Amino acid sequence: MDGLRQVWTVVAHELRGRWRSLLVWGVALGGLGALYVALYPTMSGFLNDYVKNAPESMRQYLGGLQGPISIEQWLEMELTTSIIPIALPFLVILTGSRTVAGREERKTLDLLLSNPLPRRHLVWGAALTMALSLAAVLGLTWVLTYIAVPAAGAHLSAAHLAEGLVALWPFCLFFGTLALLLSALIRRGVFATVISAVILVLMYILNGLSQVSRSIEPVRVVSLFYQLRHPLSGDFPWTAVLVMLACAAVFLGGAMAAFARRDVYT
Amino acid sequence: MTPAILTERLTKRYGYRPGIEGLDLEVLAGEIFGFIGPNGAGKTTTIRLLLDLLHPSTGRARVLGFDAHRESVAVRRSTGYLPGEFGLDVRMTGRQFIRYFARLRGLDHLGEAARLAERLDLDLDVPMGRLSRGNRQKVGLVQALFHRPALLILDEPTTGLDPLVQDTFLQILREARSEGRTVFLSSHILSEVERVCDRVAIVRAARLAALETTESLLEKRRKRVTLVFSQPVDAAVFAGLPGVSDVASAGVTISLRLHDGVDAVIKTAARYTLVDLQVEHPSLDEVFMGYYEERQPWTA
Repeated sequence: MDGLRQVWTVVAHELRGRWRSLLVWGVALGGLGALYVALYPTMSGFLNDYVKNAPESMRQYLGGLQGPISIEQWLEMELTTSIIPIALPFLVILTGSRTVAGREERKTLDLLLSNPLPRRHLVWGAALTMALSLAAVLGLTWVLTYIAVPAAGAHLSAAHLAEGLVALWPFCLFFGTLALLLSALIRRGVFATVISAVILVLMYILNGLSQVSRSIEPVRVVSLFYQLRHPLSGDFPWTAVLVMLACAAVFLGGAMAAFARRDVYT
Repeated sequence: MTPAILTERLTKRYGYRPGIEGLDLEVLAGEIFGFIGPNGAGKTTTIRLLLDLLHPSTGRARVLGFDAHRESVAVRRSTGYLPGEFGLDVRMTGRQFIRYFARLRGLDHLGEAARLAERLDLDLDVPMGRLSRGNRQKVGLVQALFHRPALLILDEPTTGLDPLVQDTFLQILREARSEGRTVFLSSHILSEVERVCDRVAIVRAARLAALETTESLLEKRRKRVTLVFSQPVDAAVFAGLPGVSDVASAGVTISLRLHDGVDAVIKTAARYTLVDLQVEHPSLDEVFMGYYEERQPWTA
């Protein structure tokens, strides 16, 4: 019980310190979502013509689009498989890299660990902070995006929009816990951030290229962008979500083990 | 009585470089223990081993009866720690910071924080980013002390404090001792160690060089003795006395260093007409510096 209370103290402290930042993220991504919803009626005709006349490779790059583009496809193309999964992981990558190595570099870790706080509780606290931060930002994004649906006269299921955003939660958590693991292992916050970010961007590039180049198509399975599939269109990636959550759990366990074994320097 | 700190062959190596080597130390409950040495001697490494921030290469440490590594949470529950260097969340006020730490300790109150802040002349409601170096140090002191720990581990605690606040702080340490609490004070400001510590350990080049009561350490120091006679006296009669060194003669005055009792010198001086006698006791600084000379101050 004491452990849970301590972890919650860490989480509450972290969330209190970053609620403005979470609000900005949520409003920014939700605002973008609302903008894309509002643009859909205007853009749909243009997009249909564009897709009809686009070369096959371009259609493949856009996710194998065929026929009239639905609002779900439009939002997937612009929002849930591009902007949000590229941008939002940084929110938690930074949290992860600051948890151990970042605190060490800012010389705040000594004082924190002078309390009767087991190191694993600090790692748990960081992971829960990431999970709740992501939930808050994605929740706000869902609300703001959905508000624009009736205004735009579009037909979009609230559940499908939620599924599209929910699939991004373990996706982002994967990168956040990866940064946390690296932060516990390599003692340099900037390296933890950069390595996680490079992996994220490489996965994005790999997924994009694999849709236009048959030679690299077989390896696209390693890209989480490919694994996200089309949850907005009702194709929720259950397997990928479970795999991503399992990876996050492994990263989290690794971070705890690495942090428990290593020295803390100032 | 269980010692507050007990280390047995405690060793930490950074690659081939020793941080601390084979440290055997016993700090008694209820004493103020000074831990002195120059930068890089191993003071901070020792402290970090006691708090499980570093893991020992070999040896072990027990703090308040708990294994410093395996039972580090229990150790930290009863310990207040002030690191030599620390960062603070500049957006928070001192009060918010102490409240956070109180919650991590399972406390729903700020303990002694308000009283300590008042004594140290610290405003706990100012964002820490706006505090001066000295006031940030005060925040560090308050967070180490507010929960009335059984053991205080302080690494260069008076850095940045003005002399008046230093006095107040040393008084707070004396009060902690009078309540039966233990203070482990790492410092290279030897005058403060001399003023408050019951015992002192000196570390040099990652090894324990001396462990004495402050009193006996000061007793063992080389005294400078100046003898003024009514007429010139041959300095050689003093040079051969046990424990005497650095004999110098200038007219009717003879000065010498003494690291033993004064009896032989007084008896020899009494054979002549002695006009004046001065015995100067060097400060702990000089004793400490003696450890870094080729010959230690109390070795012949």
